[in-house]
Amino acid sequence: MDATILGLLLLDGVQNGVIYGLLALAMVLVFAVTRVILVPIGELMMFAPLSFVWLQGGKLPGTLWLALALGALWALLERGRGRGLPLVGGAGLLLLFLLARGSPALAYLAALLLVVYLGVATYRVFFQPMRAASPEGEHRGATVLALLIMAVGLHVAYQGLGLVFFGPEQFRPDPLLQGEVVVGLTWQGALVLAFALLSAAALYLFFRRSLFGKALLAAAENRLGARLCGIRPEEAGMVAFAIAGLMAALSGLLLAPLINAAYFMGFMLGLKAFVAAILGGLVSYPVAFFGAVLVGLFESFTSFYASAYKEALVFLLLVPALFYQSLRAKGVEE
Amino acid sequence: MKRALALVTFLALAALAQGALKVGVVVSATGPAASLGIPERNTFLLIQEMLDRQGGVAGRKVEFVILDDASDTTQAVRSTRRLVEEGAVAIVGTATTPASLGMIPVVAEAKVPMISLAAGKEIIHPVDAQRFWVFKTPQTEELMARAIVADMVARGVKRVGYIGFNDAYGEGWARYFEAELKAKGLQLVVSERYNRTDTSVTGQALRLIARRPDAILIGASGTPAVLPQRTLKERGYRGLIYQTHGVANPDFLRVGGKDVEGTLLPAGPILVAEQLPSTFPPKRVALDYIQRYEAKYGIGSYSTFGAHAWDTWLILRPALERALKKADPDKDLAAFRAALRDEIEATKGVVGTHGVFTFTKEDHLGLRFEDAAVMVRVENGRWKLERVFR
Amino acid sequence: MRRYLWFALLLLPFLLSPFPFYVTLLNFFAIAALVALSLYVLTGLGGMTSFAQAAFMGVAAYATALLTTRAGVSPWAGLALGLGLTLAFALVLGLLTVRLKGHFLPLSTIAWQVALYILAGNLVGLTGGHTGLTDLPALSLGSFSLDSPFRYAFLSLFLLALLVLALHNLRESRLGRALLALRGDALTAASFGVDPAALRLKAFLLAGGIAGLAGFLYAHFLRFVNPTPFSLEASIKYLVMAVAGGVGTIPGVLLGSALFTGLEDWLKDLLPLLLGRQGNYETIAYGLVLAGILLFAPQGLWPLLAGKRAFGRPALPEAKPLPQRPPSGRRGEVVLEARGLRKAFGGLLAVNGVSFALRRGEILALIGPNGAGKSTTFNLVTGALPPDGGQVFLFGQEVTGLPPYRVHPLGLGRTFQHPHIFPEMTVLENAALATYARTRAGFLQVLFGLHRKEEARALATALEALRRVGLGELALERADRLTAGQQRLLELARLLASGAEVLLLDEPGAGLRAGEKRELAKLLLALAREGYSVLLVDHDMDLVMGLADRVVVMNYGEKIAEGTPEEVQKNPLVRAAYLGEVEAA
Repeated sequence: MDATILGLLLLDGVQNGVIYGLLALAMVLVFAVTRVILVPIGELMMFAPLSFVWLQGGKLPGTLWLALALGALWALLERGRGRGLPLVGGAGLLLLFLLARGSPALAYLAALLLVVYLGVATYRVFFQPMRAASPEGEHRGATVLALLIMAVGLHVAYQGLGLVFFGPEQFRPDPLLQGEVVVGLTWQGALVLAFALLSAAALYLFFRRSLFGKALLAAAENRLGARLCGIRPEEAGMVAFAIAGLMAALSGLLLAPLINAAYFMGFMLGLKAFVAAILGGLVSYPVAFFGAVLVGLFESFTSFYASAYKEALVFLLLVPALFYQSLRAKGVEE
Repeated sequence: MKRALALVTFLALAALAQGALKVGVVVSATGPAASLGIPERNTFLLIQEMLDRQGGVAGRKVEFVILDDASDTTQAVRSTRRLVEEGAVAIVGTATTPASLGMIPVVAEAKVPMISLAAGKEIIHPVDAQRFWVFKTPQTEELMARAIVADMVARGVKRVGYIGFNDAYGEGWARYFEAELKAKGLQLVVSERYNRTDTSVTGQALRLIARRPDAILIGASGTPAVLPQRTLKERGYRGLIYQTHGVANPDFLRVGGKDVEGTLLPAGPILVAEQLPSTFPPKRVALDYIQRYEAKYGIGSYSTFGAHAWDTWLILRPALERALKKADPDKDLAAFRAALRDEIEATKGVVGTHGVFTFTKEDHLGLRFEDAAVMVRVENGRWKLERVFR
Repeated sequence: MRRYLWFALLLLPFLLSPFPFYVTLLNFFAIAALVALSLYVLTGLGGMTSFAQAAFMGVAAYATALLTTRAGVSPWAGLALGLGLTLAFALVLGLLTVRLKGHFLPLSTIAWQVALYILAGNLVGLTGGHTGLTDLPALSLGSFSLDSPFRYAFLSLFLLALLVLALHNLRESRLGRALLALRGDALTAASFGVDPAALRLKAFLLAGGIAGLAGFLYAHFLRFVNPTPFSLEASIKYLVMAVAGGVGTIPGVLLGSALFTGLEDWLKDLLPLLLGRQGNYETIAYGLVLAGILLFAPQGLWPLLAGKRAFGRPALPEAKPLPQRPPSGRRGEVVLEARGLRKAFGGLLAVNGVSFALRRGEILALIGPNGAGKSTTFNLVTGALPPDGGQVFLFGQEVTGLPPYRVHPLGLGRTFQHPHIFPEMTVLENAALATYARTRAGFLQVLFGLHRKEEARALATALEALRRVGLGELALERADRLTAGQQRLLELARLLASGAEVLLLDEPGAGLRAGEKRELAKLLLALAREGYSVLLVDHDMDLVMGLADRVVVMNYGEKIAEGTPEEVQKNPLVRAAYLGEVEAA
């Protein structure tokens, strides 16, 4: 272990950690506002670069039809004016895709908007109905566990769809920026780092300073209270999923040149991000991000010293961290 | 009137179905082994089309019943059970070694012959009471490892490194590769693992490079095999890089691009069929298969894994024909299955896409090293025949 | 006796024998159902979500595989070793895990699951690595070999039926109630003598053991063991089965197991017919089916299908209640004493040097403005919070700092500001929870059904207490159908059933209408006459002054006055505290 190796491992750990961090931020956001543990975030992340690659090849990806189908369901579930958003959004998306075939700049935008739309539609169609208790109270709103299992079901379905749409192999889109900043860090990698830090800061400010951000959090803590204050919980949920979709898509697009995107790569990323999110107690953004970087660093070093057991060690790292968090937290019965 | 018509049709179909020979196929069309399973499934669909046009084998319809095992052992076992109980005369599949091993007790108990599409030597060796019923067509890791090490020896390699998947494929490779290295007097100086879903192998790469091997073998399959190779190159590794035959598909070249130039790998002859000397037996058969597959699925779409599936049919078909002369599946299914097994074992000199198959009582793989493996090099984004072992 | 109908499951192999493949599926169903039942115990009853059940399966499966293939020992020895190892693992992991709160617990189970999976895959010398261990022997009963799915199904279904019976017993026992209570509200459970960490650990052990049994059956059915069936994905699958079917009920988890075991194969049949053979859509359909189930039945399929129809209402218990010693001892003897209690939260001194004594047969009221520290004092006395200074004596014995579940059996019971009742249980069961500290059946006795007599007496005790407070008619109703006033009475009935002599009531009148308050007051006076000692906190001055023998007044954490209601009402300090300085003239 010399200085070069140490440096490279640190860089690698930070780069990986930042990926987990981005996803962790999105997961904490979604959980805080909707109580949903967004297991399919990995699939959303991968759909963006894969759809982009398809567009570059002049083809329309299957994810477009998925998004439109969910959008149609969304429109059906809404009444009156509420239908405007899904319908207009869907039409716009289709148009954008038709125009974007073969044009990289438009294709980036198209892939991004696709995942945002898909994220919102996913929430509206699958999660929102679960969270609303029925008027007579004959069935209470779903528990966190039920929401989690729903998320698992969607993860399975989306991953299966990913295989059908994109096939089993990986794809490598061209990076936005070529070359290396310094040995071990490419410009693309630096871009990812910058984006991550920006997102963390932005989310922090959004939730601490802006009224809308605070309203979002309020809606998560107490639905009734939020409604009494004029905040619509459903809207809060859709915004949360939209932001999460945006972050997942951007991360995926920026990362794909570095990691080779494939339909199956998302789950493990999402799981480790989830670990990081928990380290932050599922409430704190800076801590979740920091925790994610720690996870990345730990992973980097264990892959050097004991590559076969790397996964086990990373997850076992959790245990003392969990203890610490649990002792600090007030009893949350969920 | 309509109902009577429907009834008649139904009975007619039922009657037709009665005479059909069912061949059960278990493949991993989803899950981590999908890049192997999908071409295999496609090959069987291709064969089904051919047979439907030809009217079957010896006048009997043949029906392939294809089930997906999702790369999972339990599923493979369930699917096998089901196929066996629905009257399959033979079972083909699956592409992963653990799943194939799980299938063995099922076919042995049901006394149905099975031709596996997986690499593991344990599937057919030693031929005991259970493996009596089991054959396979793909080269074992042992055979391919022999090819790699032979090539290494020829290039004067002394110190070797290994990085492979943390699953059955990588583990099998590690085991046989190490054994072969020892046998030929080379030194394995470092052995690392990574996961298919990993996004970075920097740690492992640094460790590998630090030990300064002359050559590194990457024990992976599909496009995830590109990651360690690229990382090694980026970290400044200048030695030889070998891959396994698991990367012998066009996507590897597509994703690998410049980073995989100069890769050496062992492969079944079909990978470089056009470049083979015309005295190489599998050449004609391989070219025939490629042409048929590409006609249906597109130019450049064929894969060496699909070719294993083709080979099973090249063995199974004549065996079926011979067995049909000896026994009647409609009258006595058990006797037919036993007869079919015997006829499969009697396979001699069948030229396939991956080699020439000759089974014996002790050898249910039946491939000779010289016909079944060649060394290939990646040159200008294409596969180039590098070395023949004949 | 209806529960013995579960043994009808054993008819299934016969019914399905024309379809041999379904007999195979039957075995897979039984194994999955066992794991789902382990989740019923852990998650449905205990509220702990576990992602590690497949890992427990794996421990037992590998244990028996290694023992039978390497050492050539009989599979039944493999069962013993497998179960033993699984329980040992569960103990170690449980000790570390059950103390974690909320969502930290499931996460820790993910950690164990992934770690065990990777170990299984990488300790190649021991476990055969990813390639696994082959050629396990078949199970045999004497000379009868269980080597075909048909025969094996009898064993697996028999064990399943046995376990269903055992878990029915568990649900209808003190332990079942305690687990449900623990899930909803650990503090209330503790105040009735339930030791949360110990009970959780035992539930964890039981769940682990059941999963281990399933692993053993799996190993000798497939006769091949490798890590994949014991991975995180497998654990998630079992969790899906349990939750989609309805993790809170036994029929629910069985339904979920049956549905999803069959689903994979039905989809394989159905989808190629609908969508052609080119693609593989089973996983997509699987995910969509799951999503669909949860959309329409977030509590699970079974609660949706079964609705509120009770499958036969249990009869009212007729046994003799548990022996109840009416409060005895000299009236006026000090039963509860607090001396110089102190508690600070950071910089805030919530309770500062508070002392009082409660005598047998008296009603003592603790009053003061909001924020005076009354509830905190309550918590210090009952053990819900440890004091920073001072002492508490119950019946002359020091109990300072003991946790609630240790204080309660000594004869002290409390209610809470908001009624802490458990909506999934009936009124009778809620009341019966209180008998936890007076009954003794352990897990083994309960599972084997040896607790029936004691259980009947416990229920009878609860019923008698309910009748005492006037809720006897509502005994078999679900507790969430009671009005606020009735819920308060239920809390009181619980205290009576628990045999506590010293009753601490936190705002018993809150949320009650005038008429209900009068009834409550009558009841409390009657209890005091019988020798019960009552310490209550309330804001309704009419209620308090009319009821209490003596009053203690607190403000800013200190006792500022003590005496009879008349004395206290005239006390200028008290008036100042309530009404402001101006009035104190």
